[in-house]
Amino acid sequence: MTTSPPHHAASVRPGTGQHAGHPAIEFVGVRKDYLSHGEAVPAVKSLDLAIGQGEFFSLLGPSGCGKTTTMRMIAGFEEPTAGKVFLDGKDVTDVGPNKRDVNMVFQSYALFPHLNVLQNVSFGLERKKLAKSEIKRRVGEMLEIVSLTGMEKRQPKEMSGGQQQRVALARALVNHPRALLLDEPLGALDLKLRQQMQVELKRIQREVGITFVYVTHDQGEALTMSDRIAVMNSGLIEQLGSPRNIYERPASRFVAGFIGTSNLIDGQVSHVDGGVAVLDVAPGERVLVPVTGQVQPGRALEVSVRPEKIDLHRTMPHDSAASIVSGVVTEVVYHGTSTNYTVATSAGSDFVVFDQNAHDAEDVASRGERVFLTWAPQHSYPIGV
Amino acid sequence: MFPTSKPDPSLLRGMTQRRLGRRDALRLGGLSAMGAFLAACGVQGKGKPGASAAPDAVAKFWNGKVKNGKLDFANWPLYMDPKKPELKKFTEKTGITVKYDEVIQEMGPWFAKVQPQLSAKQSIGYDLMVITNGMQFGQFRDAGFLAPLDHSKLPNYAANAAKSYAQSAYDPGNVFSVPWASGITGIAYDESKTKRPITKLADLWDPAFKGKVGMFSDLQELGNFGLLAAGLDPAKSAEADWKKAAAKLQEQKDAGIVRNYYDQGYVDALGKGEVWITQAWSGDIFQKNVSDGTNFKFVIPEEGGTIWTDNMAIPITAANPVDAITLMDFFYEVENAATLAEYINYVCPVPAAQATMLKHAAAQTGEDKEYLESVANSPLVFPGEADYAKLHYYVGFNTAEEQQDFSKVFDPIVLG
Amino acid sequence: MNRVKRTLAPYLLVLPGGLWLLVFFVVPMVTMLSLSLQEGDIVNGYVFTGHWQTYVEAISDYQTQMIRSLVYGAITSLVLIVLAFPVAYWIAFYGGRKKTTYLFLILLPFFVSFVLRTISWRMLLTDDGVLLHPLKEAGLLPSGFQLLGTPTAVIAGLVYNFLPFMVLPIYVALERIDPRVVEAARDLYASPATAFRKVIFPLALPGVFAGVLMTFVPASSDYVNSELLGGTSTTMIGQVIQSKFLHTSDYPTASALAFALMAVLLIGVFSYARALGTEDVMKVAAR
Repeated sequence: MTTSPPHHAASVRPGTGQHAGHPAIEFVGVRKDYLSHGEAVPAVKSLDLAIGQGEFFSLLGPSGCGKTTTMRMIAGFEEPTAGKVFLDGKDVTDVGPNKRDVNMVFQSYALFPHLNVLQNVSFGLERKKLAKSEIKRRVGEMLEIVSLTGMEKRQPKEMSGGQQQRVALARALVNHPRALLLDEPLGALDLKLRQQMQVELKRIQREVGITFVYVTHDQGEALTMSDRIAVMNSGLIEQLGSPRNIYERPASRFVAGFIGTSNLIDGQVSHVDGGVAVLDVAPGERVLVPVTGQVQPGRALEVSVRPEKIDLHRTMPHDSAASIVSGVVTEVVYHGTSTNYTVATSAGSDFVVFDQNAHDAEDVASRGERVFLTWAPQHSYPIGV
Repeated sequence: MFPTSKPDPSLLRGMTQRRLGRRDALRLGGLSAMGAFLAACGVQGKGKPGASAAPDAVAKFWNGKVKNGKLDFANWPLYMDPKKPELKKFTEKTGITVKYDEVIQEMGPWFAKVQPQLSAKQSIGYDLMVITNGMQFGQFRDAGFLAPLDHSKLPNYAANAAKSYAQSAYDPGNVFSVPWASGITGIAYDESKTKRPITKLADLWDPAFKGKVGMFSDLQELGNFGLLAAGLDPAKSAEADWKKAAAKLQEQKDAGIVRNYYDQGYVDALGKGEVWITQAWSGDIFQKNVSDGTNFKFVIPEEGGTIWTDNMAIPITAANPVDAITLMDFFYEVENAATLAEYINYVCPVPAAQATMLKHAAAQTGEDKEYLESVANSPLVFPGEADYAKLHYYVGFNTAEEQQDFSKVFDPIVLG
Repeated sequence: MNRVKRTLAPYLLVLPGGLWLLVFFVVPMVTMLSLSLQEGDIVNGYVFTGHWQTYVEAISDYQTQMIRSLVYGAITSLVLIVLAFPVAYWIAFYGGRKKTTYLFLILLPFFVSFVLRTISWRMLLTDDGVLLHPLKEAGLLPSGFQLLGTPTAVIAGLVYNFLPFMVLPIYVALERIDPRVVEAARDLYASPATAFRKVIFPLALPGVFAGVLMTFVPASSDYVNSELLGGTSTTMIGQVIQSKFLHTSDYPTASALAFALMAVLLIGVFSYARALGTEDVMKVAAR
């Protein structure tokens, strides 16, 4: 029954827990097809992934990217078409969900509507046939952790969304699973509650110290909470890394676009100078981008820069060490802490610029005005290099 | 047109056949129609002065009445060939046009429907109607709702009708009505199963046929056979007799002899072999044999069977009574009586029609010839003198209360 | 002016339906109630005398049929739960895109008249019909064996005729179950059987409850099945009422029996609803 996972899997492991021997969750060569009108449609094309012990791991991507299918394969609701799934080093590919030591928090909580809070939270422990006193103790403890003490007799429908959310969390965590799977658990909450719950979830994860696998399409959420993020698209992982790594060094045009706002510039390398490639985009304008290894002049490059990294000038600045692009303001939107500009540039695409409102009001550029955009070379990233 | 609450599979086959009797129409008419109708048949005003119409009453009614050249005729469904050949002939011959409506399905509701207009001395929209010799017949008659017939206008009737009808209990002397057709209740059986001819009511009590005997769920029909089996005459019976008959029937039920109490479904049960021997209505068995090629026998038991009669009568408020009585008499022309009976297969009130029918048969070939011959020779269409002698009218009730008492006695048997 | 209109509007909306109910339900009910308290006969007419003894007589005369009807109705409902649940379950959870088709198939027999369907059952169950003949030929049944005329045939007919009325409400209840709730149970270590017992069945109970209501009541008062499939000792109360109304014109007894049946069914239904109020049913089942 138990097959050892291949050796290489133990290599990628930032932010790991103590179980150095095996990753908490591991996918090896997994593919999942769904039958639709008699045809196999891939939901997950190819997946090799190891999630470490105690890690807060997010699967991030748009709907239909395969993130939920991936999670359901961990829970045991879906069986891979090919490949294997390991939990704690054990092959669980053919093991039913009730025999897997992972628990899930469902998108709409999926609380048992006919049971009260106490019965909901005790459900798993009762199935495990624990002693009544033990169940009582653990449920009480867990309700305290999620601040629901005193609500034992409530029916789910008598509770707010946030409270239901915590019941769902308690119902899963009370079983002390090897890993907790969360399927867009905050999606139904309003913004404020969502932010509160993000902090709460992080706190609970620290307290219980178990692996969290978090599925979301909300990049903000993923960036705030995760140790690592896998950005998925069309059944494949596009990029796997820390939040900072994902945000600042998007590995593909897709990731750059999906995570935050990116300004993209296509250009040709005119020359390379001390590890910095120079792209001439227009007379007197240039984009500087740090490169590693051999980049030959004449090579086409796609460069990304985040809107908050750009400075907007109303007069031509004289800073030969920065990228500089000119354009015409087409949109000005005031956001309180910042002003967002849309600028039609000579570099081709429209740029978005977030300008901190640190200066005087009269210093704001207006629509139709010619402006100059600059940013430091280290804020440009070549995509896919 | 057909309320479809209870078609019978054998009927569905029968629909494709050339002929369809009135029983079939009743079969289509509704689950309860048959039972209610027959229950109504039996409840008649026994001992009421049937021939009470004073001689001058006839003159008073008919005085000044003239032929109007049209009439409205209310009848039961499928009680005439749908092409209405007789009515066409009648119009050709007399110039009287007939509007023919199949509006009567059950006697009770029919009486209830026309009673208010008749009470108010208003026309019911019909000049001629066919009503059964049941309780409602007595009600029509006693309420003065029926026109006394001017027998001088019924020469064919006088010449051709079977004489026994004039002695009927419900309308002695045919003062208010003349018969349209009659039916007989007797015993039908499948000789291939019984292995012997059935001749008497006692055979319905034979333990050899345990679980294979069918009886009618209609209380009148059931009670009649109980009475006849106990050697009592239904028409002269009283409550003490009914109790004896009920005891006899209960005994038959308790011994497990009765398979079930049937309405029209008995034909089907006989066809499927669920019952081997059963109470039966004459027309059904004839139809069944003709349409399904079965060879069931129908007998009027030695102890006696029962007969009911549907009669033509003229409502007292009829606008065209002369036209109506002309049509009445027209159906007593032998030729017309023959063609009608050829279609409906019920007891024909004109004995001479038998010879005419045989003549018709001789003019035909093949299946048609065979069919007509079988109708003409059927004792169920033309019963012999001996047959008539064995036929009894239903239990007569003096009051509706008596009728209720009768029901109370026989109800527990059927509603077990 | 506008306010008046607004306050009146809901009542005006109720008006057509309310009138309909008044004319075609309340009035006949009152008429029947009055009829049950009348004395007389069909020829001389019935007169209201407040003769309540008709009820006592009717019930004592026909209590056997009354009890038999309730027993048949109860057995029918129980058999229906057992038969309909798997069907509804399968359609709700495995019907996929063809759910509507399967539901339509369940309803298909209903496009044929109730009586005609029962007649066809008569043909099916007959002593030497397609069902029994082969079994008798094969020697599996004695040649004298019969189904028609037995309580089994009547109940089988009732079950057949009322099947959709049990399938549909259970289906609706099952269909409303969030599949994630079932997955949650599986995730929390419940085997498929336990998930069914602890989650699916309790959540489907309102449907079962509705199904019992929709089958027990009409099955208990049915007369067609016992009339067509029954025998000499399977008479149900509906047959008695029908016979009293149509055959013997004993309107007071018929009305009294109809009211007594209605009262028994209403009391039964209300105590059933009370005893097994859906909330409580769920709680009980969850334990």
